[in-house]
Amino acid sequence: MNENKEDPSGMTSMVDTWLKSMGDLLGNMATQWGATQGQQQPWTLAGKGASPQAQATMDAAFKNWQSMANAMAAPESMSALLKGSGAMPEMLLKLSQSSLNGFGEMQQSLSERFSRMGATAEAYEFQDIDENIFRIWTDIYEKEFKQFFQIPQLGLMRTYQEKANQVADKYNLLQSTLAEFLNLLSLPFNQTMQVMQEKVGEMAENGALPDESRVYYNMWVKVLEGHYMTLFQTPEYVETLARTLNTLADFSAARDSALEDLLGSLPIAKRSDMDDMARELYELKKRFRILEKELKK
Amino acid sequence: MTQSKIPVDLILSKLAEEAEKVQSRASKASEVLLEDLDTAIAQTPYEVVYQEDRVKLKHYLPRTKSRYKTPLLVTYALINRETMLDLQPGRSVVERFLDSGIDLYMIDWGYPTRKDRFLGFDDHINGYMDNIVDFIRERHKIEKINLMGICMGGTFSVIYSALYPEKIKNLITTVTPTNFDTKKGLLHVWMENIDVDRVVDTFGNLPADMMNLGFLLLNPARLMIDKYVGFMEHNDNKQFVENFVRMEKWIFDSPDLPGEVFRQFIKDCYQGNKLLKNQLEIGGQLVNLKKLTMPLLNIYGKFDHLVPPEACDQLVKHVGSKDTEDICLDTGHIGIYVSSKYQKEFAPKIAGWLKERDQIPRKRAPRKKTTTDKTAAGANKPRRTKKANT
Repeated sequence: MNENKEDPSGMTSMVDTWLKSMGDLLGNMATQWGATQGQQQPWTLAGKGASPQAQATMDAAFKNWQSMANAMAAPESMSALLKGSGAMPEMLLKLSQSSLNGFGEMQQSLSERFSRMGATAEAYEFQDIDENIFRIWTDIYEKEFKQFFQIPQLGLMRTYQEKANQVADKYNLLQSTLAEFLNLLSLPFNQTMQVMQEKVGEMAENGALPDESRVYYNMWVKVLEGHYMTLFQTPEYVETLARTLNTLADFSAARDSALEDLLGSLPIAKRSDMDDMARELYELKKRFRILEKELKK
Repeated sequence: MTQSKIPVDLILSKLAEEAEKVQSRASKASEVLLEDLDTAIAQTPYEVVYQEDRVKLKHYLPRTKSRYKTPLLVTYALINRETMLDLQPGRSVVERFLDSGIDLYMIDWGYPTRKDRFLGFDDHINGYMDNIVDFIRERHKIEKINLMGICMGGTFSVIYSALYPEKIKNLITTVTPTNFDTKKGLLHVWMENIDVDRVVDTFGNLPADMMNLGFLLLNPARLMIDKYVGFMEHNDNKQFVENFVRMEKWIFDSPDLPGEVFRQFIKDCYQGNKLLKNQLEIGGQLVNLKKLTMPLLNIYGKFDHLVPPEACDQLVKHVGSKDTEDICLDTGHIGIYVSSKYQKEFAPKIAGWLKERDQIPRKRAPRKKTTTDKTAAGANKPRRTKKANT
């Protein structure tokens, strides 16, 4: 009664019947197997020269399956099985719930990250957006995106994947720093245009506008030169130049390291191999020269 | 009706006139550019008398009877090539030296490859330079030779002369940086912040293209725009085009700079200013400028934006020699060697200065210091002023 209460759908009787029939089938198969072992039927796996060990193994397997089926058909086992199957939807729900929670957290973390991007950008004055936009982008990249390329890699290919990520990361950083540097280099052009407009305006007002285009050009190039000279001495330019060189060096190093791995599988000497050899040669030559000079003395 | 302040009609007519000129010039320019142009550089005959690895020693064939007892060795920088001293016949420092009767040798540093990345100051100065100096001394059976350095080659020459004063009779430094503690030159400002280790460890040698881009960025308005505008305006003139192309050939014929040389030049010189402080160590030896007891002629350019006067004019105060002379010319870093005007002054000045000191054996040096008035007015007219010994 209790079982029926727990299983109102009639699942118990259905599984019970199926398990009993499985036990009978396996028992019959085992009996049949034992009866035919002396006659060697053509379909048997063992064939004519089947070893007694193989037959014993098959016997044991059939018997195990039969006893397993019988054991499962016992009322207490059925009850446990049904409890387990009753718990299945709950388990699945928990599993899906935790996955959804994880996904939600990830989404939340991403949206927080995106909202922080705004906060990062706020650190700069947007009145100067034209001048700062590239610096802001570099900063956002370094603070918010860079980490994605630093997620630890796992498994057999982890080293290669890590190196590939490094190349991508350093490339992105080089691009954003380079954009920043090139933007700085373009600033004197904008300033020169403004100065020229003012100067030409003044000359037009005074009726002293030159009619030779060369005069305008000379004026423009002189103002441009002056703006460049001013820019080049600013700490911002010096710092950006140094940073651009560093990111270029970092990207080249990451790229070379990844390429070295590729070359490692080819019958070609790697750059590091050549460098090692060059260093050895260099040291040998140096020792040789010292000895030669000492001998001369 | 009042007259417009802007002479629109005049401007338009001038524009039309200029457009006509440009068209005519373009037509002539295409003829010039398709002609057989003579743009060869470094044409003065020489023979290679010594070679070690990539480094060669050129000995120029005399054009006249030698009038000097002591040969002159010219050490160029490892940046760009020594061909700058011999751009074309009639515009060549080499020719002028030879015409003065100087027996002339010049170091050709060659093109460093990746295997040369480990070669530093020690290898170039105690190695190649010392071997070359010894070769010339042996060849001429003399104790001492004259040494002239250009730019970084001048820094090498100063170091060499301090390490081997017994082998150098007279020292000439031209546009030679020795004081790196100045904010006057952009290179000095930029180099302070360079992470040289990262650059050298990554690239091995400093790539020539990177270096050239850096030099162009020192004055992009003039070097990347105005220069080529000038070319477009004169490209119908064959001689102008030939000279322009020769210069372009020289400028962009740039070897890579050996990594360790670059590292040491930036760290010890630009960032540490160790040479003037007598703290520079080469091959385990400390470079002491007080050991520079030979006569010293120091020439530099007033408008040099690579090696400003402030980077050059401190040397004479730190050396042990009592016979020194500073000359500041009203020109730039390259103008000293390639401008026709300054070539006429520069090479004869050196030849005359060497001639005055060409006696063998040299007795006690005159106990005086000679300097040149470095004001704008007197910059290109060397004037000697006696100074009390310090």
